[in-house]
Amino acid sequence: MCFGIAIPVSDLPEELVEQRSDRVAARGPGELRELRFTFRDPRPELPLWHGNRLVIYPWGNRDGRVRLPRTGWCRRESLEAGLWSHLRPEAVDIPAAFGLEKGVWFLIEEGIRGILVRDERGGPHAYMLTQPASHYYRIMTRHPRMPVFLGWQI
Amino acid sequence: MGRIVGHLDADCFYVSCERVRHGSLRGLAVGVLGNQGACVIAKSYEMRAFGITTGMPIWDALPLCPEAVFVKRDFQWYEVLSRRMIEVARRFSPTVEYYSIDEVFFDAGGMTPADARTLQRAILDEVGVPVSVGLAASKTLAKLASSSGKPFGCVSALGEERLRRLLDGRPVEKITGLARRSARRLAPYGIRTCAEFARADRRLIRRLLTKRGEDLWWELNGAAVLPVRDVPALRKNISRGGSLAGAVTDPDRLAAWVARNTERLVEGLDRHGVFCERLTLILTFKDGGVDQRRATLPVAAADFAVLYEAAVRLTNACRPQGRGVTYMRLIAEELTARRHAQLGLFDRPDPRQKAVAVVKRTINEKVGRFALRSGATLPLADVYRDEANAYDVCDIYGKTCF
Ligand SMILES: [Mg+2]
Repeated sequence: MCFGIAIPVSDLPEELVEQRSDRVAARGPGELRELRFTFRDPRPELPLWHGNRLVIYPWGNRDGRVRLPRTGWCRRESLEAGLWSHLRPEAVDIPAAFGLEKGVWFLIEEGIRGILVRDERGGPHAYMLTQPASHYYRIMTRHPRMPVFLGWQI
Repeated sequence: MGRIVGHLDADCFYVSCERVRHGSLRGLAVGVLGNQGACVIAKSYEMRAFGITTGMPIWDALPLCPEAVFVKRDFQWYEVLSRRMIEVARRFSPTVEYYSIDEVFFDAGGMTPADARTLQRAILDEVGVPVSVGLAASKTLAKLASSSGKPFGCVSALGEERLRRLLDGRPVEKITGLARRSARRLAPYGIRTCAEFARADRRLIRRLLTKRGEDLWWELNGAAVLPVRDVPALRKNISRGGSLAGAVTDPDRLAAWVARNTERLVEGLDRHGVFCERLTLILTFKDGGVDQRRATLPVAAADFAVLYEAAVRLTNACRPQGRGVTYMRLIAEELTARRHAQLGLFDRPDPRQKAVAVVKRTINEKVGRFALRSGATLPLADVYRDEANAYDVCDIYGKTCF
């Protein structure tokens, strides 16, 4: 799977960084700043390209009252089997420079594929697409599933 | 003044290559992982500061540096940048010797330290990779000089004062080509630093370390013994192999690994234009056992059929049944250049086999590595599906050491 992502601040519009200043974290000895999004956050969110706009929407669903799958991830197999069709999922791209799984940060070339669905009130929710992990990914993160990456395989 | 030799060595080369195409990695603790995703095969200076060493498993590295970013290695890309680096170096020197994927020696006659800085700058600007440069009177000194300046140093050991500064206090183990065993032999004579080695009696060094040690003594004293060559020397052996992605017990899968490594070996022999007369196989087992077998081939060969048959025989001789093989290496030895081989050797063992080999090579050069491969590799479909497996470090052309 992929428990979190990060994008360097330098790759993002300034006003977006200001809006989410609580998400800014510094990485490493050079103290390079980045925006971090993890599923463990009090209000988990994901950045995504919607149309040609970069927006930040709630990541999946953790609320039992909302009639959407209570998870942050969507298996590609179930999407292809039509199990999400009733929610009319929309394909979206999640930009990410680094991914996090079981404490391992790894490089992501372009981003991750995701879907966008709406709850009963029309509120947007983004889910990350997953697939069976490659041998490399499984050894590196000890997780049997990995994200569906944009245009590049790990 | 005599000759001037230059040595150029990229700083944390694999990481630097990744930074060329992924700017977000600059300034971070970065670890390049081997193809299995288990071990750190290269690290940035930022990561090294956390005590992470090459070869360390990721699960040991993580607690030391939780903020590190890990990258999958891509030797194909590293080779592209390596070639670009050499191209730049060739503009500055008439003779450039490829030493390893990220190191070259070059004839630096007439070059000043300022010129070396310009070369360093040109490689950074045009290739994007930081390198360290050493200038000295011999190869051994030039390599010592470049490594003393890392990272992004430019060190001249020309002139008595600079040479003294380079050699004083530097442990003899830093001399390339001087094994740790040799260093132990020198210690009882009070020879622990490069300066002490250079000042030692030449005959004593020869007695302790043979001709090879004496050559290094001359080199350290500024007399170039080892020439800078445009063409790499003919190799003593070519080897291919690696970890088998888990413990292999299935005989068909094991045979498939033998076929895969044989095909890679044949490719290496073709590239170097050589035949081999001897084949060695090393297997490592899950139980920790290691078995090594050697066979002399009926004729000097580079054909898949001949080598595969020999490799299978060696594998069976190790009695791998039920033991779980985790690692395999095939080594071709007793190499002879094909142009020196007797006429007629090309037609063995069977003209049809030769025709198959030619078709295989042609298609694979055009379509991609392993596009056409032996049917015996079928049980490894999963390994071939992962494109990253197409390149292993030992497949890189011209790499001489690691
Ligand atoms: Mg280097």
